[in-house]
Amino acid sequence: MIFKWFDERLELRKFKDKFLSKTFPTHPTFLLGEIALFSFITLVITGIFLGFLYEPSVKMVSLFGAMVPAAYASVVKTDLLPMGMIIRRIHHWSAMIMIASILVHLMRVYFTASYRKPRELNWLVGLGLWCISMGAAFTGYLLPYSKFSTTATSIAYYIAKSVPWIGDWISRLVFAGDFPSAGTVPRFFFMHVMLIPMLLVGLIGLHMLILVKQKHTEPNSNKKKKEAEGGRRLIGIPIWPEQTIISLSFYLFLLFIIVLVATYIPLNPIENYGPPSPGTPVMRPDWYFLVVYGFLKLIPGDLSFSILGGNITPETIGGVLFPAFTILVFALIPFLDKGKGKGLQNYTENPLHRPFMTSFGIGGGVFLCMLVVAGYMDVLHLTARTMSIYIILASTAAWSISYTLLRLYNKKRMGEDNDEA
Amino acid sequence: MVDKNLGDKGDKRGITRRRFTLGVIIASIVGAFGSLLSLLKILAPAKEGGGYVSTIKPGDQLIYAQGANMGADIKVSALNAGESVLVYPAGKTSNPANIVQLIKLDEGAYKAPTDIKLTDQGLIAYSAICTHLGCTVSWVEKKKSPDTSYTECFCHNSIFDPTRGAKVLAGPAPIPLAQIGIKVKDNGTLVFTSDFKGPIGPQV
Ligand code: HEM
Ligand code: FES
Repeated sequence: MIFKWFDERLELRKFKDKFLSKTFPTHPTFLLGEIALFSFITLVITGIFLGFLYEPSVKMVSLFGAMVPAAYASVVKTDLLPMGMIIRRIHHWSAMIMIASILVHLMRVYFTASYRKPRELNWLVGLGLWCISMGAAFTGYLLPYSKFSTTATSIAYYIAKSVPWIGDWISRLVFAGDFPSAGTVPRFFFMHVMLIPMLLVGLIGLHMLILVKQKHTEPNSNKKKKEAEGGRRLIGIPIWPEQTIISLSFYLFLLFIIVLVATYIPLNPIENYGPPSPGTPVMRPDWYFLVVYGFLKLIPGDLSFSILGGNITPETIGGVLFPAFTILVFALIPFLDKGKGKGLQNYTENPLHRPFMTSFGIGGGVFLCMLVVAGYMDVLHLTARTMSIYIILASTAAWSISYTLLRLYNKKRMGEDNDEA
Repeated sequence: MVDKNLGDKGDKRGITRRRFTLGVIIASIVGAFGSLLSLLKILAPAKEGGGYVSTIKPGDQLIYAQGANMGADIKVSALNAGESVLVYPAGKTSNPANIVQLIKLDEGAYKAPTDIKLTDQGLIAYSAICTHLGCTVSWVEKKKSPDTSYTECFCHNSIFDPTRGAKVLAGPAPIPLAQIGIKVKDNGTLVFTSDFKGPIGPQV
């Protein structure tokens, strides 16, 4: 009945035939991107809840007899509401899961070479999504305006200031003046709940649109099956109803995990940290910033010079050049590794058959992980020098060992292939 | 697609009407959006002095910056060798550039380049703002041998030697913390006697 009413007006049936019957590959790793998408949906829903209660201001108000910034007071009051603290934790946990799943999704695409022509564009869009999600998490972290929030943001402020030539201007643009000043929280609030979510929605839409147009890459195992059938159709299941049901139950399962975790594991307990105060606590940023954080710890303090009137300080190197360079390497991958032949590449590659790229990925991954370890240098009682040596050793070892092993494996495989023939 | 009006040479060498129009459209789009970029200038508020500018003047009283005694005058008797507190100049606590770390060690512990004239009865004061990225530094107290206590910034583990003019011993901080003069008054409270003897805050 209802369906018919809408169908007569919106031609739903046509839409269903055209769009909802698209095929979706069944390999489980193709669900990684969906985790990111679902986490974003959770973030929007919980974020709307938080937005009703949050006050974007640093004017001092009285909270249980103490004078604290209004933003801090409003979040403490949120935590005191029934379910308030859980919703806040779900928001923060989902942020972490969103960023983590984008990262793992990106690794899947990398190792299976799904970024090759024609999908270079979507690789770049995905990379952009990852960067913007980090921006969302960063602007969100300031909002509760606890001692930890201001410490983290102040560090980022000085990193922004250390950008050569335009750092001063960039920092004032992003932080609405110097940090700390009264303008920063309202500007971050605007970016966090308006600008960045809108960018994310737009980019996610673009990502999906390109995906629907180009279709998924298919697992390599489909290739033989398809050639045998002589067909050109994608092998998989249609979006409606099979994939929708899988995705939906998967989302509910994910939500269940997040709620469970958020209920039992505290995250960012701002009541324990307290409002901003003169002292700085022992703190580490959320895990996704640990790579940069570790790198900042390693650079010697006297490493500064200037070129063409721009000052390059250790902060510039660790906080600006190094992240920019890493992103650039990611962005260039599809243009450097084009694969054999100039045609469109619609099958995933087996990572074991790509010794160079796979070992490069493993080495690079170990390098980034070791930088995270460098973030814990003080706990491990290591000096910057020993830590740097460990990092170089570990990543070159991971790279060369995996390369050698893969080469050996492939030599053997080729040999077997020849035997068969 | 040859523009007939211009003859058949027009499409290769000269400017066809079509290309000209296209050029004008592109230029106007670029121009229109380019001019919007000037808005970015408005969105970045003008500098309000910027950076850390201390307002400490000689004669300012030292008070506790935090803790149970926050705001109270500091007495020389309150600190034992190897201890340290964060202090503000009285009445100027809203300027974050004014935060100072007051340390007490044995009088004989200080070596060059410490400015011994600016210390009193083993008490010494440094800016508490890390010269790396602006966190407030902390005091790592060694109970067994107080003079080996040191200042550390927990943000990226810069370590400063309080007995040698807060020289950087480890970590990414580029320059020492700036020393500032203090002295004990007759009633046992403390006052500042100078300005900072060097730059304070992050050196970016
Ligand atoms: C429409 C989307 C969103 C809205 C309306 C929203 C809203 C908010 C609000 C009002 C706060 C401050 C209140 C509080 O901290 O309790 C907040 C905090 C935060 N947000 Fe969002 N947010 C959104 C999306 C995101 C996204 C996409 C991310 C990250 C990928 C994110 C990460 C964070 C983090 C890390 C915090 C700090 C949480 C904490 O206090 O522990 N948010 N968000
Ligand atoms: S801010 Fe002090 S070491 Fe980085």
